[in-house]
Amino acid sequence: MKETPLSNCERDFLLKAIQEKKRLDGRQTYDYRKLKIMFGTDFGCCFVELGKTRVMAQVSCELVAPKENRPNEGIMFFNIELSPMASPAFEQGRQSELSVKLNRQLERCLRNSKCIDLESLCVVSGEKVWQIRVDVHMLNHDGNLMDAASITAIASLCHFRRPDVGIQGDEVTVYSPDERDPIPLSIYHMPISVSFAFFQQGTYLLVDPCEREERVMDGLLMIAMNKHREICSIQSSGGIMLLKEQVMRCSKIASVKVSEITKLIMKALENDKTARKAGGKCGFAESMPQERITALKKDETAVEMTDVTERANDIVLNAEVPPQTSQSLLVPLPGMGQVGKDLQNSWGIEEYYQDEEEAFNSDEDKQTMMEVGEKQKVHEDVVEISDSEEDEVVILQPEATDRAHKKTSSSSHLKEPAKSKKRHRK
Amino acid sequence: MIMSDAIFSRPTHTFDGMMEECSPSTVSIREFGCEQNLLSRSDGSASFIQGNTSVLAAVYGPAEVKVSKEIYDRATLEVIIQPKVGLPSVKERAQEQCVRETCEASLLLSLHPRSSLTLVLQELHNDGSLLSCFLNAGCMAMMDAGLPMSCLFCGVTCAIHTDGTIITDPTAAQEAESRALMTFAIDSKEHQVMMTSTKGSFSVQEMQQCIAVSQAASEKIFSFHRESLRRRYSKSV
Amino acid sequence: MAAGFKTADPLEYHRSFLKENCRPDGRELHEFRTTTVNIGSISTADGSALVKLGNTTVICGVKAELANPSVEATGKGFIVPNVDLPPLCSSQFRPGPPGEQAQAASQFMADIIESSEMLQMEDLCIERGKLCWSLYCDLICLDYDGNLLDACALTMLAALKNTRLPKVRVNGETGAPEVDLGKRRGLKIRRHPVAASFCIFDDSVLLVDPAAEEEQLATARLTVVTDEEGRLCGVHKPGGTPLSGERLQELIGRATVRQKEIHRLIDKVIKSIV
Repeated sequence: MKETPLSNCERDFLLKAIQEKKRLDGRQTYDYRKLKIMFGTDFGCCFVELGKTRVMAQVSCELVAPKENRPNEGIMFFNIELSPMASPAFEQGRQSELSVKLNRQLERCLRNSKCIDLESLCVVSGEKVWQIRVDVHMLNHDGNLMDAASITAIASLCHFRRPDVGIQGDEVTVYSPDERDPIPLSIYHMPISVSFAFFQQGTYLLVDPCEREERVMDGLLMIAMNKHREICSIQSSGGIMLLKEQVMRCSKIASVKVSEITKLIMKALENDKTARKAGGKCGFAESMPQERITALKKDETAVEMTDVTERANDIVLNAEVPPQTSQSLLVPLPGMGQVGKDLQNSWGIEEYYQDEEEAFNSDEDKQTMMEVGEKQKVHEDVVEISDSEEDEVVILQPEATDRAHKKTSSSSHLKEPAKSKKRHRK
Repeated sequence: MIMSDAIFSRPTHTFDGMMEECSPSTVSIREFGCEQNLLSRSDGSASFIQGNTSVLAAVYGPAEVKVSKEIYDRATLEVIIQPKVGLPSVKERAQEQCVRETCEASLLLSLHPRSSLTLVLQELHNDGSLLSCFLNAGCMAMMDAGLPMSCLFCGVTCAIHTDGTIITDPTAAQEAESRALMTFAIDSKEHQVMMTSTKGSFSVQEMQQCIAVSQAASEKIFSFHRESLRRRYSKSV
Repeated sequence: MAAGFKTADPLEYHRSFLKENCRPDGRELHEFRTTTVNIGSISTADGSALVKLGNTTVICGVKAELANPSVEATGKGFIVPNVDLPPLCSSQFRPGPPGEQAQAASQFMADIIESSEMLQMEDLCIERGKLCWSLYCDLICLDYDGNLLDACALTMLAALKNTRLPKVRVNGETGAPEVDLGKRRGLKIRRHPVAASFCIFDDSVLLVDPAAEEEQLATARLTVVTDEEGRLCGVHKPGGTPLSGERLQELIGRATVRQKEIHRLIDKVIKSIV
């Protein structure tokens, strides 16, 4: 499905509003949208709502052989899925420009910043290491996917627990969560990306652009930073020239936003931990807002089973039993069998059978071959009597007639293929 | 072999004792919930929760269709199932086929010829009965999108425990220790079976019982469908 | 005339036949097409079979390879069915990666093996945790005329019945497997699951073993897999017209009859080769 185009008047309206320091959703220039972080029932599952943008991430792990040049390090793998759920313009299973861009930026933000201790993921050097896979699913696209993705990814990494392993000799055992408590990843710092949209060749700047704003912006600056105010990655796209002061100002804003977001993630993690400890329910099912009229919840309900057995038995007993058909079964030659009503088949099995027999008496074979030649000659001579089809059958299917003489019962089936061949020739 | 023999020869006599064996807790459907219209971009959306199993569904359309997929007398329905981890595999394809053909039977597709409908289903958490949750979420999302349908449908999963008891709406743990698993889609008009998908082997009687149980359970789900819609439109009327 | 009618209004064309309780290809409503089985069709495969169901033709080759068992199930081997629908079998298929139908069929074949327990994965283990067999069942459709699932299930069963694995011994010193190609042994097939497909026409008429055109026009399709004990190993109805329990029961009855017939056929064919 195509993206709905943005009309010119809409574009002008948006730009004019930005000039007047107004935004569609009533935010100020430097305001971030409302951020909500939730965790799933599984470890390493995180949902983030940034305004109307929704993202989910799930971390999973697997024991694999390490890369040759890094035998002592685990492997990190990021995958951003631009699911068609998020926007009609996204297509399933196709690498779009946007998804490549987001994937690379996320890798730069989380892998190249060395925020995760990869060496702690090594189990047996050079043989077995943990591969940590982060699947980020976009659920609703309302702008600033990158920030939402980076927050979801780092929060789910913090939430994730990998199973404990034991090594006895060269045997590696993976313990289930019941046997040994799973282990969290060791994370040094939490890089978080903050996006800035520029308009009118960099004259105007907005933090956290929504989808409409993204469509009219001239350029985008993404700064990934941790709470220690260390820049982990900085990327400018869209082809605008930025002044040093602008970048400095953006990085200052980013540092404020990052410390706020980090605090929120920590708080969410803390809440989840206490909920789990208390044995209370957690996860997506619990986070459903029940006060909305669009939502409804119903408690566990019993299903009456009073007459189930009787009903089932009734159906089984009253069912009409189809007649036990005793269809003809034929095994014409070893390794082949046929079942069906009249045993007619375009394969012409009888002919094959004949071939086998002929292998024994090659003399007869030669004879029939000669016959073919002769009769075809005859046929050429008398073109006008082409209607006498029985004769033609003989000409084209010498083996067939031969067989027909031997086994009269099969002759009726043989007409079919012969006739069809006749048609071909014409 | 000996093990399986024991299991196979058993069900014939467990039938009579069935009613005693079934404690009320096993024949129940877990708490379920639904939120509609929670995504801003799609034309209709819903999340459906059964116990801990949850699914998010979004519907787009009727919209422009690709020429290669165009059908001259009805709308083209596409169902996409997104697993939580990794890329969609053969298993998801098979589930997509089940959901798509069920939806096609209930939607009035001939009202929108030469257009496309897309249903995207995202697994959020799998704690058993995932296919039935996909069906339920899909139905709610299509209702939210206001697509014309001839009937509603719902999904019910039944598991047959190794001791022969029937469990409705099983959790992942219950699924793992069951010897057969059946998922049915039931229509709201006559409570008949629109879709079946099974795993494991079972007797004819067991299947008929599961159908009967699912039909009873479907009534609960349909009343939930109605209730949630009544609640949703309570302020606009 | 008839050809023109068929192209102009295929649905009405079929209806006019069904009114008379027969089908365009001359069959009765509850009649399966002629089923032909040939085993050992491919000499290079470890097991093979070719099945014709009317015009629908499916060939299956089983290739056995030595593999390492997975960490989760050290005592089990693998069996990987794969259904291929190449463009040669019908103009409705395009070259390239497998489409939805082929993938769903592959999954269905895997489900049949798992549900029916026709083969125990433990039988494929050679040495626990070290070596096992991995059987690749490649099913290729050569001619598509409907009812792919029945044909595939039958071909796979016949090919597996025909499969003979060479003897393998693990060398005690080197740990390397030694394959003795001269000595081969058949697989132990514990159950004979047979699929029977049906379709519902115009929400009411039941057709057995639908041809391609009937399948396309049908309002519902259904496949029932039964084994020799009359147990169900799979009831697959992807959607379509709702059916009552009674109606399903009727179909199951027909599937059971079909199972007996096909089981007899396969037994005879296998015996004929020994």
